[in-house]
Amino acid sequence: MEININKQENVTTVKLVGRLDTPASVEVSKELEPVAADAAGTIILDCKDLTYISSSGLRIFLTLRKAATAQGGTVIVKSINQDIRNVFMMTGFLNLFRIEE
Amino acid sequence: MDFSQLDPHCQAILQEYRDNLPLFRDSAEKIHTTLENTFREAGLLVAAIEYRVKTEESLAGKLELKGAKYKSLQDITDIIGLRVITFYIDDVDKVASAVERLFKVDWDNTVDKRKVHEIDSFGYLSLHYICYLDGAPYRFEIQLRTVLQHAWANMNHDTGYKSGVEVPREYLRNLNRLAGMLELADEQFSKIRTELNDYRRRVQALVASGNLDDVPLDGDTFRSYLNLGPFTSLNKKIAAVNQAEIQEVSLMPYLTVFKGLNCKTLGDISRLIKTYSEGAYQIACYQIGLTDLDIISSSLGPQDLCLAFILKNGGGKAGIRYLFETLNGPSESNDFLADMLLEQAQDLPFMNQ
Repeated sequence: MEININKQENVTTVKLVGRLDTPASVEVSKELEPVAADAAGTIILDCKDLTYISSSGLRIFLTLRKAATAQGGTVIVKSINQDIRNVFMMTGFLNLFRIEE
Repeated sequence: MDFSQLDPHCQAILQEYRDNLPLFRDSAEKIHTTLENTFREAGLLVAAIEYRVKTEESLAGKLELKGAKYKSLQDITDIIGLRVITFYIDDVDKVASAVERLFKVDWDNTVDKRKVHEIDSFGYLSLHYICYLDGAPYRFEIQLRTVLQHAWANMNHDTGYKSGVEVPREYLRNLNRLAGMLELADEQFSKIRTELNDYRRRVQALVASGNLDDVPLDGDTFRSYLNLGPFTSLNKKIAAVNQAEIQEVSLMPYLTVFKGLNCKTLGDISRLIKTYSEGAYQIACYQIGLTDLDIISSSLGPQDLCLAFILKNGGGKAGIRYLFETLNGPSESNDFLADMLLEQAQDLPFMNQ
């Protein structure tokens, strides 16, 4: 699992590559701590190359959403594949995020 | 600034003002903070609390005009001036009682201009309190008015007595006509607020008593209904499939969905829950039963209920697309989701009963 974080002005782009499964979530969660701490702007979760998400991954997304909401920011989930979209739908997460193609 | 044209008596008053200016500024700020905190604690929303200390120039102007009237600075009651502007006319009285409780009022000089009008006169309506400053021999003024009274007073001030030009009778008459109209408007706003609060209380009572067929579906009623947790039991049942945790989220976006599904009253939603909960549970079991997903959001229950309703009533692909588009906006992926759900639905018992 790879993660790249790039902040430009008010927009933080987090590129997730690979499988966000339970073991990977521990590392990703740690890497995203500073993003959650500074979530007043827009956070784009670029999921173009994300191939799988587990419950732990969903929890990470949710943590970011909570942090952003509390600080007046927004989380945009971008380019999720159909499998991950199904996971979002099956868990009722679909309307929790702004999902962009 | 040079105010040498003032006589020695007025010069002395002006000097006393200069000596006490820090006290006036500090007191004005403190009174403002006291009012602000009191209103916040009481949950009273006001449009603005303004405050100012009279400028030296303005005081000199006043002394030049009627300096002989004042024995000392203590006789001038508007060195510190505050103004509380309320949204509603009823709130003027609430603010007034707060002022009376918080400060020692000089009743001899306090004027309720709302009561000085004759039955056939309209115009300036405001409540002016003169209060004693704590620990100093000075007084201050607090004006209370509504935003509409404030708007009128400002317009009147611009066109009225201070402009130095005599205003033609027709303009004055128009201003007074406007005052009458704004007085009515203020009353109407208050009346609407009271009626709206009555309506909310009635709806809450109906929701609590279970007469849901009598409650039309709208933003207020849906919010009251959600407080009863109508989807909790379904969500818990779904969560139990994988011993999942439930993340509570706002379900208000479903108001539009339920309206689109022709629900006109809360009774309609209640029946939908009763009739389609089993279908919703079957959809959820089918989807997450063979996964290790152990987290769901509280919107899963209503989402799967709507899906069950759409599938069972022949809403097909267009119906499912409507649901996802309403909740998440248009996307080509909604078509894929719809196709997948239509395929899954063929295997579900509730579709074949």
